[in-house]
Amino acid sequence: MLAKTTLKNAFPIIILTVIVAICVTALTFTESITRDKIKAQEEQKIQHMLSAIFPDMSRYDFTNDIYTIYSDGAKVGYAFLAVGKGYGGDISILVGLKDETTVKGITIVSHSETPGLGSRIAESSFTDRFIGLNVEDVALRQEGGQIDAITGSTISSRAVIDAVRTTAMEKVKQLTESEGRE
Amino acid sequence: MNELITIFLGLVLINNFLLVRFLGLCSFIGVSTKLSNAVSMGVAVTFVMALASVVTWIIRHFILIPFNIEYMNIIVYILVIASLVQIVELFIKRTNITLYFAFGIYLPLVTVNCAVLGVTLINATENYSFLGSVAAALGGGLGYTLIMAMMSGIREKLELANTPETMKGTPIAFILAMLLGLAFVGFVGMI
Amino acid sequence: MGKFGKEFIKGLIITNPVFVLVLGLCPLLAISTSIDNALGMSLAVLIVLLGSNAIIAAIRRFIPNIVRIPIFIVVIATMVTIVNLTFHANFPDLYESLGIYLPLVVVNCIVLARAEAFASKNPIVHSIADALGMSVGFMLALLMISFLRQVPGTGSLSVFGFHFFTLPVLGKNPIAIFILPYGAFLVIALLMALFRRTGVMKL
Repeated sequence: MLAKTTLKNAFPIIILTVIVAICVTALTFTESITRDKIKAQEEQKIQHMLSAIFPDMSRYDFTNDIYTIYSDGAKVGYAFLAVGKGYGGDISILVGLKDETTVKGITIVSHSETPGLGSRIAESSFTDRFIGLNVEDVALRQEGGQIDAITGSTISSRAVIDAVRTTAMEKVKQLTESEGRE
Repeated sequence: MNELITIFLGLVLINNFLLVRFLGLCSFIGVSTKLSNAVSMGVAVTFVMALASVVTWIIRHFILIPFNIEYMNIIVYILVIASLVQIVELFIKRTNITLYFAFGIYLPLVTVNCAVLGVTLINATENYSFLGSVAAALGGGLGYTLIMAMMSGIREKLELANTPETMKGTPIAFILAMLLGLAFVGFVGMI
Repeated sequence: MGKFGKEFIKGLIITNPVFVLVLGLCPLLAISTSIDNALGMSLAVLIVLLGSNAIIAAIRRFIPNIVRIPIFIVVIATMVTIVNLTFHANFPDLYESLGIYLPLVVVNCIVLARAEAFASKNPIVHSIADALGMSVGFMLALLMISFLRQVPGTGSLSVFGFHFFTLPVLGKNPIAIFILPYGAFLVIALLMALFRRTGVMKL
């Protein structure tokens, strides 16, 4: 008698457990067939962004948060992510260096700036201003550097500029130190 | 500490859950007609958000990531939230029966509140630390409660005003939300 | 076809999930900044709703009343995770634009409400019709709002890279309010008022 009522009480839990088990199995199956594709997508995304700055890239290495870019065996530059405090939130920037002193180019990976104003930092008219500059010259023109801010979006422009310069100087220091150790 | 305050204030004023991220809207329109209801809902939501953030953070860092099953997060998080709401409901029923009746159906409604699941997902994507997750939950919850309170206060007065027939009820509430959102844009860039 | 069609139309207009039942708002306003996102989100909701309605209708006789909500949640969450993983693998750009709003379909009031109010009480075929009707109703609402936000807000119309037109004046100086978050409230308020005024949808 006790067994029968216990079973009756346990029935909902049993059903729930069975359904959960079926669902979990279905999910594990789905995950296993999508896993490789997802990984491939992530890598393709990085590759795409790096190639935009280094068109002749053939392969890259990633150690200590710095990408080392190679073109047919020769080292052609470095790249790394910089994060700036923009007007509407964090701005994620991919910075490419030709060598330890010159900027190859930058790409804005993500931002939440005001559409039509600060969002213009993602346009090439702004990012092109960084190309070929010396790392120390990455600053607003009115602060001794070589870059003009976007009209009406000084905060967004400055966020990108400062982030690029500070992170670049950091990474360069990291590179020269590790090279000195070699 | 600085970072915690940034997360907290950022979610209350700048990336407000209701006005900017649109989380928690279903309850927004339905519940924000009376100030007392709105505040009760807000408190319930904030409380569950904080609890959920703690539990899901622990689960994520000690189970999901080490065992490489992060894709299970949706199903795990929502079950955690549903269970927490049940537990909280039982607890309130046993300890303070008047409070239980005061909450009424709002407590079960917290389960499907986008804001609660939303904050757990945001904690995951932004990879906040433990305290950061709690700060995010409190910030999100406070932002939600703040706007709910404001909206209901205005809507109570609006009941007595002469609204055009087509705009009565939900449409005018949306216009109100727009004006509040517009006002809050003033806080952007503060941090 | 009669009953199937009836459920479909019901979901589409008479009880349109967005404008009449005022459900599923959270993703609606967040996603409606572009038509691409709107179509993507509609597809996600369609798959989840079809799956959950069908499954729940199929097992409805075996669900004990006391655990029905957790079961609904588990089934819906599984469908959402499947869609999440599939989009991540096959439509990465869409996956990124939808962001956290894709997983949030799990608490989308529409999905849970249909499971509770309809699929748990009606046969599979009718539940599928209901799912289709609701999804298409949702999609129409979402498309309407997205169109009214994207065109004035960016001054042009492009869907999946296919450019339709650029408005003469607005192309250079779009009206930003429509694309900003609070503009979404404006658009939906005006749309609702318009529907009421023209009697298309009941108050």
